[in-house]
Amino acid sequence: MDTNTTSNEYVRGTLKTIVLNLLAEQKRMYGYEITQEVKERTGGAIALTFGALYPVLHKLEQDGFLVTESVEVDGRLRKYYSLTTPGSEAARIKTDDLERFVDAIRLLLAPKSMATE
Amino acid sequence: MKRLQNNKIELLSNYLKKNGLNPELFPEILDHLACEAEERLWDGDSFEHAFSNIVETADPETLHILSVEHNHLLAMEKTLNDIVFENRNKLYGAYQLRKGYNKTMQRSVLMGVTFFLLIMLLPNLYARLVPEPKKDDIGFEADLITVDIKPETNTPPPVEPVKPVQKVSTVKYDHYEVLPDHMVPEETSPPTIEDLQNALPGQENSEGNSDILTIEPPKAEAPAGKGVNVGLESPKETELFAVEQAPEFMGGNAAMGEFLRKNLRYPSQAASAGVQGRVFISFVVGADGKIENVQTLKGIGFGCDEEAERVIKLMPKWKAGRQSGIPVRVRFNLPVVFQME
Repeated sequence: MDTNTTSNEYVRGTLKTIVLNLLAEQKRMYGYEITQEVKERTGGAIALTFGALYPVLHKLEQDGFLVTESVEVDGRLRKYYSLTTPGSEAARIKTDDLERFVDAIRLLLAPKSMATE
Repeated sequence: MKRLQNNKIELLSNYLKKNGLNPELFPEILDHLACEAEERLWDGDSFEHAFSNIVETADPETLHILSVEHNHLLAMEKTLNDIVFENRNKLYGAYQLRKGYNKTMQRSVLMGVTFFLLIMLLPNLYARLVPEPKKDDIGFEADLITVDIKPETNTPPPVEPVKPVQKVSTVKYDHYEVLPDHMVPEETSPPTIEDLQNALPGQENSEGNSDILTIEPPKAEAPAGKGVNVGLESPKETELFAVEQAPEFMGGNAAMGEFLRKNLRYPSQAASAGVQGRVFISFVVGADGKIENVQTLKGIGFGCDEEAERVIKLMPKWKAGRQSGIPVRVRFNLPVVFQME
């Protein structure tokens, strides 16, 4: 639980990027699929709660980065998300940004001796 | 993947409803939780366990936050109108009016400005399109007169006034049969010379309407006179002799005879000299029916020629001769007879 909250703290800042990036790869996903995908890829290190995921999805949709389509699956309405053209552009930019940020963090977190060497 | 039974889904949806989840989010969250439950069932969990797990992650507080955040998100898009009409009847019409207000305003302003400019620029535009008349321009004014053109075919050919058949007074001049005395009719006796003075011998006695002995023009109708007039053609070439419809004294030949009788005075000179005979007068009946160019072709002198000319000139307008329906000038020859009573 403790680790979960700490990861949440970082996840909150990068959640948008994670979602956009995943959608850029998969074309079309629904909410639960995204959480499962993240969980599988990170070996459970990052767990998206639906309480955090859905507001982000809705926000992206409102910003025009995502479009949705509702498909009935097993008698339930499933809402699929996919990227729009500005969405894919945003995904590329944000992923680049995050990568540079992670590199920078890595430099910061590395022992000083290593950095100077 | 195991499918959740409907009653289990019902259970989930009841749970979500109980926690007041926003209806717009409802299907999505339900699907999410159902998927999660199915996943857990697949892993071998009992539904009850899975359900309690789900309730743990989707606790009422989280759901509440989700709803609130969704509302916030929507609120950013909401306009003042949406807020004003939040719990009111939007179908009434005022909402539509308010929503369309900007568009209506824009359009009306545009139309107003266009209309105003058009009105303002109209004189200018008009001046550009219609060049001002220059002072040395000449203008023509023409009055349009509507003319009734009747197709030629419809008009019946001008009916020639039926001329009173010139009946010459006749005196019965029977040939006499040799008959026994008792069969000879009493009253039949041959006409005397006096009887025949003013009449012709005929089948019976009849009163004519023409005085053969006084001023009787020859048949004015053209073809007959043509041969006679060839040698007497007037210098004017526009004058015709033979036309389709010969000129005619108004009222016909009888009227002309009457006119001449009324106006002709036997010249005293001629009377005293005992001159009789015919004066040939030639004149032109103009296209308007006027008598012109009166001249004597062959006279008898003693003032008769002048007298005949005078009376001819006195004549009122004639009915002009016509060629193909067009009035034309026609030369006309008229013998005027002077005869002592």
